[in-house]
Amino acid sequence: MSHAIEKPKDITIPAGSLWAKLPMLGGGAAVIGLGATLAASFGEGRARAMFSYLFAFEAVLAVALGALGWVLIDHTVRASWSTVIKRIAETVAVTLPVFVLLWVPIGTIGFHDLYPWTHEADAVLDRKRWFLSNGFFFGRAALYFVIWSFLSWTLYRTSVKQDTASEGELKGLTHRLWRLSAPGIILYALSQSFQAIDWLMSLQPHWYSTMFGVYYFAASILAFYAFMVLASMGLQRAGVMKTAITTEHFHDMGKFLYGYTVFWAYIAFSQFMLIWYANLPEETVFYMVRNTGGWHYVSYALPVLHFFVPFFFFLSRHVKRNRVALACGAVWTLVMHCVDLYWLVLPNYGTHGEGAHEAVLSVGWTDVAALVGMAGAFLAVFGYFLTKNKVVGINDPRLPESLAHENY
Amino acid sequence: MATATAQTLPNDINTRGDVVLEDPIAGREPLVRGGHDFHAVTEMVCKFNEVEVKKTPKSFLAGLSLAGAVATMFFGYVGYLFWEGPGIWGNNNPVGWAWDIVNFVFWVGIGHAGTLISAILYLFRQKWRTSINRYAEAMTIFAVICASMCVALHTGRIWMDYYLFPLPNQMGLWPNFRSPLEWDVFAVNTYFAVSLLFWFTGLVPDFATLRDRATNKWRQRIYGFLALGWRGSMRHWVTYEKAYQILAAFSAPLVLSVHTIVSFDFAVSQLPGWHTTIFPPYFVAGAIFSGFAMVNTLMLPARHFLGLKDLVTVRHLENINKVILLTGTLVGYAYGMEFFVAAYSGNEYEGFTFINRSFGPYWWAYWIMLSCNVVTPQLFWFKKIRTSVGWSFVLSIFVNIGMWFERFVITVTSLHRDFLVSSWDYFVPVTEVFFLLGTFGLFFTLFLLFVRFFPVIAMSEVKGVMPEANPHWEGYGDHGHGHAAHAAAAEVH
Repeated sequence: MSHAIEKPKDITIPAGSLWAKLPMLGGGAAVIGLGATLAASFGEGRARAMFSYLFAFEAVLAVALGALGWVLIDHTVRASWSTVIKRIAETVAVTLPVFVLLWVPIGTIGFHDLYPWTHEADAVLDRKRWFLSNGFFFGRAALYFVIWSFLSWTLYRTSVKQDTASEGELKGLTHRLWRLSAPGIILYALSQSFQAIDWLMSLQPHWYSTMFGVYYFAASILAFYAFMVLASMGLQRAGVMKTAITTEHFHDMGKFLYGYTVFWAYIAFSQFMLIWYANLPEETVFYMVRNTGGWHYVSYALPVLHFFVPFFFFLSRHVKRNRVALACGAVWTLVMHCVDLYWLVLPNYGTHGEGAHEAVLSVGWTDVAALVGMAGAFLAVFGYFLTKNKVVGINDPRLPESLAHENY
Repeated sequence: MATATAQTLPNDINTRGDVVLEDPIAGREPLVRGGHDFHAVTEMVCKFNEVEVKKTPKSFLAGLSLAGAVATMFFGYVGYLFWEGPGIWGNNNPVGWAWDIVNFVFWVGIGHAGTLISAILYLFRQKWRTSINRYAEAMTIFAVICASMCVALHTGRIWMDYYLFPLPNQMGLWPNFRSPLEWDVFAVNTYFAVSLLFWFTGLVPDFATLRDRATNKWRQRIYGFLALGWRGSMRHWVTYEKAYQILAAFSAPLVLSVHTIVSFDFAVSQLPGWHTTIFPPYFVAGAIFSGFAMVNTLMLPARHFLGLKDLVTVRHLENINKVILLTGTLVGYAYGMEFFVAAYSGNEYEGFTFINRSFGPYWWAYWIMLSCNVVTPQLFWFKKIRTSVGWSFVLSIFVNIGMWFERFVITVTSLHRDFLVSSWDYFVPVTEVFFLLGTFGLFFTLFLLFVRFFPVIAMSEVKGVMPEANPHWEGYGDHGHGHAAHAAAAEVH
């Protein structure tokens, strides 16, 4: 309750900590996990391995995209509670340029196996060619990556510049961040919606839903908050910002985790309910493949485990203010996020082309390998940038407000 | 938040006309300007409530008479509707839903801003809400009254409306619980009940203030009755704050649920233009959009005539306009996504509906909607415009118009081109304009009465966000740093 809270001094990653080794460890996991998945893609199991790869890519991309969206919103609403954790989010977002490389196998090795519209033809698909055509598809992918890289890199660089800026420059830099963020939200909203349409919705090219972009947004911002909780706690364990990030900040992160859990459920339920109620065959196909071959267990589990359980869990104030409980909830949310993305991607495996069969749920080793590898690649880059600069924007004009933040 | 700047600003932006740039280093702009203390806030807010009935200003009486006349006309019109039936409207096959439903959705949408401000902004600890929540909530309640009138009157045989409620009856007839129209009945009633409770709970301490200041018996008795024995003790405040927070938590999902269910009215059908999965969040965004515009429409004149410029400042105006810009753009996203998916789906019926919407017989309605909802709000990107009272008022009217037309476009253009070409028709209203006008009369009558007799600004809450409410406050000017904005309303007294 003091009037001026001192700025934290423990704001760099100690040399010997696990975080400093993250680029090595994550890189190792990436080489082994992604290497194994890609190795499996040479041969019989190519399609299966590529479906695993796409699932892992989208599940991890969601965290980075969620972070980008969060930073943009955070600047635009002039938030101050979160300044103390903003650099962490900026660092999550700045991994986005690396996803260009990670995307390459999807556009090359797996392209035909994943996306039936690349080689199938029927009356409906013919009417979709204006959008679902190779050239346009690749062009759009390039555009998304340009937008994400530009936004995340500029936000990160400008923020880092503030660490060494003189008193006079600080204001200008903050204004620059604000000016970029509001229009950035529009670019972000469009690019993240259309990547969801391109890379996930077009797995089932006959199916369409106007809600799909919002669904992916809900999933991604939720996954980001869960990751943020764990990253903040992990950093504190390594002796970084031990007193700067307080229970108050965790409480607020917990509230957002709770809020976005409800938002995800709201979007998921609305999409399902409307399609179920109208019962139009071109729309119900999405839920049909997820209602056969064991997938129905996942379909029934999602609302229970991804909504009802965390809903009642996060409802309590004590849970949000207790680190162990909050960490458990965050891990749970991340696991369910992966299940959600798995449920979006994998049911499409083997349902098109030669030897097409009903969707069957069978978890393969490539699913795990791809996820470990993808998460490793992401964490390696995240760790690299985290070690490179300060973990908090120490000169951010809003930092004092954030350090003094209290819930009452 | 720098407390000192609140008092030492040399030129007040509200009188100077231009606007201070947001300065992250100097801190945030104060929420209450002009160096008022608690007593001055009470005086400002209560002034108009305490004008003797006989001395009510003539201009106010003129406004009330006009609104009252239109409201009276509305009830006359309702009588006419009772007598003649809905044949006095242009509704016919295939356009079975027209202005009745359009007006309903329009009004119920407007209510959402009030609930967003009072509940969601409360949960997000947005302190600026305190200056605008009271009349935004009042707006919600009156808008929901207008909406329920529209929807109750659209049923045809109005005297059978009680069948909407699942009342046991000798014929064993029950409403269809699987119909979203029935969900609507529950959604709107719940919404009205919770909003009213929430509004009233917030009013209790302010009623007590009016009671304590009363100069005649009747005033004292009536406000005393409404104040429910409020004494302002610490125990009262603790209970009050808890109740307020719980009601806010109950109201927050209502912001989403009511208009979500309204969107289900359309979206569960199989009609192209109605059936699309983005409808729930899209309707909610549109509702908040129209509601905030209505907040501006009502707030700007009220602020001017009641002399509340130091309480409802340009900062509030700018925040409201930012929300309008955001939600308008979200609505634009939904329009675009609908159009895109109609093209992407390869579904001929979807494609036809959207081409027909924008270039068919009702093209004019579509382009009014698009320009008022998506194009003109983009002007709020400019700080000059979003901090200008004149521009804000004009653009808020545009949004009101645009959002009415949005509902018209959705309802009528999707219906008028049926699957059966022989039944195609062009809907033309007959007497409906009196219906719409009449609800405005009702709305403004209620609102003017509210302005006259209720404190339009939540005095106790505004005081809670003033620097004086900080337990560490030691007078003006000596604590320009640290956290000032830490004061529960419980600590006001």
